[in-house]
Amino acid sequence: MDATMSVLLWAGATGAFGGVLLLRISWGRARRSIAFNAAAWALLVAALACGMIAAGAWGVTVVSLCAIGMALLCLAHAGWTAPRGRASASNRRAHMLPERNEPLRLGRRAGTFVLAVPAALIASLIAGLAVRLLCDRAGWREADSNALMLYSMPLIWAVLLVLLLLWPDRRKQAGIVAGPALAGALVLLLGGAGR
Amino acid sequence: MSGIVNRGLVQRGLSAHAAIGLLASALLYLVCLTGGLSVFAEEWQRAEQPDAPEMTRIAPEAVQAAVVRVLASEKGKPQTEHLFVHLPVEALPRTTVTTDNQAVHVDANGAIAMPEHDAWTEFLLELHYTLTLPSLIGLTVVGILGVMLIAVSLTGILAHPRIFRDAFRLRARDRGGVGLADWHNRLGVWTLPFGLAVALTGAAIGLATINGQGLATAFHGGDIEAAYAPIFGEEGQPDARPAGVPDVAASLHTMARRFPGVTPTYVIVHDPLTAGQHTQVIADHPRRLIFGEYYGFDTEGRFLGTTGLADGAVGQQAVASGYKLHFGNFGGLAVKLAYAVLGLALCVVVATGTSIWLGKRERRGFRHPRLRAGWDGVVWGIPVALAVTFLVRLAAGNAAPLAPVFWGAAALIVAAGAAAGTAMPVRRAMQAALVLGIVAIGIVVALNPWGVCPLEFRHELG
Repeated sequence: MDATMSVLLWAGATGAFGGVLLLRISWGRARRSIAFNAAAWALLVAALACGMIAAGAWGVTVVSLCAIGMALLCLAHAGWTAPRGRASASNRRAHMLPERNEPLRLGRRAGTFVLAVPAALIASLIAGLAVRLLCDRAGWREADSNALMLYSMPLIWAVLLVLLLLWPDRRKQAGIVAGPALAGALVLLLGGAGR
Repeated sequence: MSGIVNRGLVQRGLSAHAAIGLLASALLYLVCLTGGLSVFAEEWQRAEQPDAPEMTRIAPEAVQAAVVRVLASEKGKPQTEHLFVHLPVEALPRTTVTTDNQAVHVDANGAIAMPEHDAWTEFLLELHYTLTLPSLIGLTVVGILGVMLIAVSLTGILAHPRIFRDAFRLRARDRGGVGLADWHNRLGVWTLPFGLAVALTGAAIGLATINGQGLATAFHGGDIEAAYAPIFGEEGQPDARPAGVPDVAASLHTMARRFPGVTPTYVIVHDPLTAGQHTQVIADHPRRLIFGEYYGFDTEGRFLGTTGLADGAVGQQAVASGYKLHFGNFGGLAVKLAYAVLGLALCVVVATGTSIWLGKRERRGFRHPRLRAGWDGVVWGIPVALAVTFLVRLAAGNAAPLAPVFWGAAALIVAAGAAAGTAMPVRRAMQAALVLGIVAIGIVVALNPWGVCPLEFRHELG
């Protein structure tokens, strides 16, 4: 049994190396080949499946590290063989600091910070607790509901942070934070949390 | 129309990416760097105290003798709530007993050999976990940095529509910002699975106190232990009446007999020398991401059951898997090296991010020599400050005030860099200092085991 699992794990690792290499070949062609791309992705999915069957989450992680390692090797080769170039770099503006006579708008920036950090933290905490309560009501085991809450809260916060910064309109931002906070609070209130 | 909308989204994605990156870059860099170095915590520990007794295994009776001796040495000290025995494992083949009052290495017979001296390793881990801030605040700030890392990764993808198409393109020899941007984008895209995994697990660990308090308030009448009990098991009932030393040897014999496929890594005695005491053995399961399973024993060493981290609810296994996934200690030296390389790659991504932003502004005619020199001070000065703390630890002993030394040195380097601006080549100076520091550390560590460089031994004897 152990030997079979080891063979599967090695197959997964080899598949990960091969999948990334195939992707490198496919993406390096003048015109991308659907067949090559599909084969590369299929190989990577099969490699992950081998890792999963061989050793669950541990196997998937090890196979993923093999794929990343292969990609970094390809990248090292690309860097090593890169010719000296004269391409002009992008100077896209990120609008972080004012240019010329633009105002600094410190108040607006502070407002965005308050929404993105303390307000979004509270909103994601309430939303996470609501997720936990809904799972509990759906019959999940308590350990599963609590674990989901612990992992979902930072994810919800990160998504809120991205959305807040993508839509600079203050009213939209207020809605992005208030939406999950109010919906979560309603779920918690109706669900009898805190009693 | 769709193109305009997409262009707008990409532009806003870039602004969001820059906003989060610039807000958090210095602290993110510090956390990534200390994280990469912490992967080798056991190796650092061994380098700090090379003369501690080492062994590949220890007999259960020797562990029992060590527990008896350490508990006897606790007389006159405040009552300890826990006693931990670190058992020898491949990465750290030492037996160390820790209570609330002391930490000592024991030899293979269970005799107390010497106090544990690993102040630098502890400092490094403290810097990574809490930035040396008070525990609750520090953990939360580092957890928030984990959230920022997730968000900056997501906005990075939005801001660079060609990021996957160009995933294998690295124009390393291009000057004028192209090479720098390629390094940032390529390492960013290929470390994305690793970055997201360590960011999410780090955020979950860092924000666990806030989340635990939320769970306790909403569902457990404010009892935070009850909130974690479904995952990590319940604490035993305390009973303060005095009792004898628990039979740890019997627990370890039972482990060897009943669970031969797992490797005990820790013994924990809860409320030792009280009637409420009980023992837990943490055992590592091969080819699993969980940090281990708790095997419970009573005071006589009778097996009571497991907590379920290995085979209980999915949630228990998921939470227990977060730690090894974050720290990279699940596959021996190969995985450790991979994590160190990926951690270094994350440092490069963070460091180049701010440099790219500064470069773009310079190309548009806005020069910030002090800001650039200050940033160079952060990127190269923080590793220099860490190297200084390691040398101070070896020269001044285990009690050296490492946190003030680090923050003082880092602040001085950054401030001096920013003040000097273009007057001094900050980057070159710090790169030279870093090379010197690494060479000095290498020499001291290489010579220490033979007593040629007796810095640590002088303090041990003193």
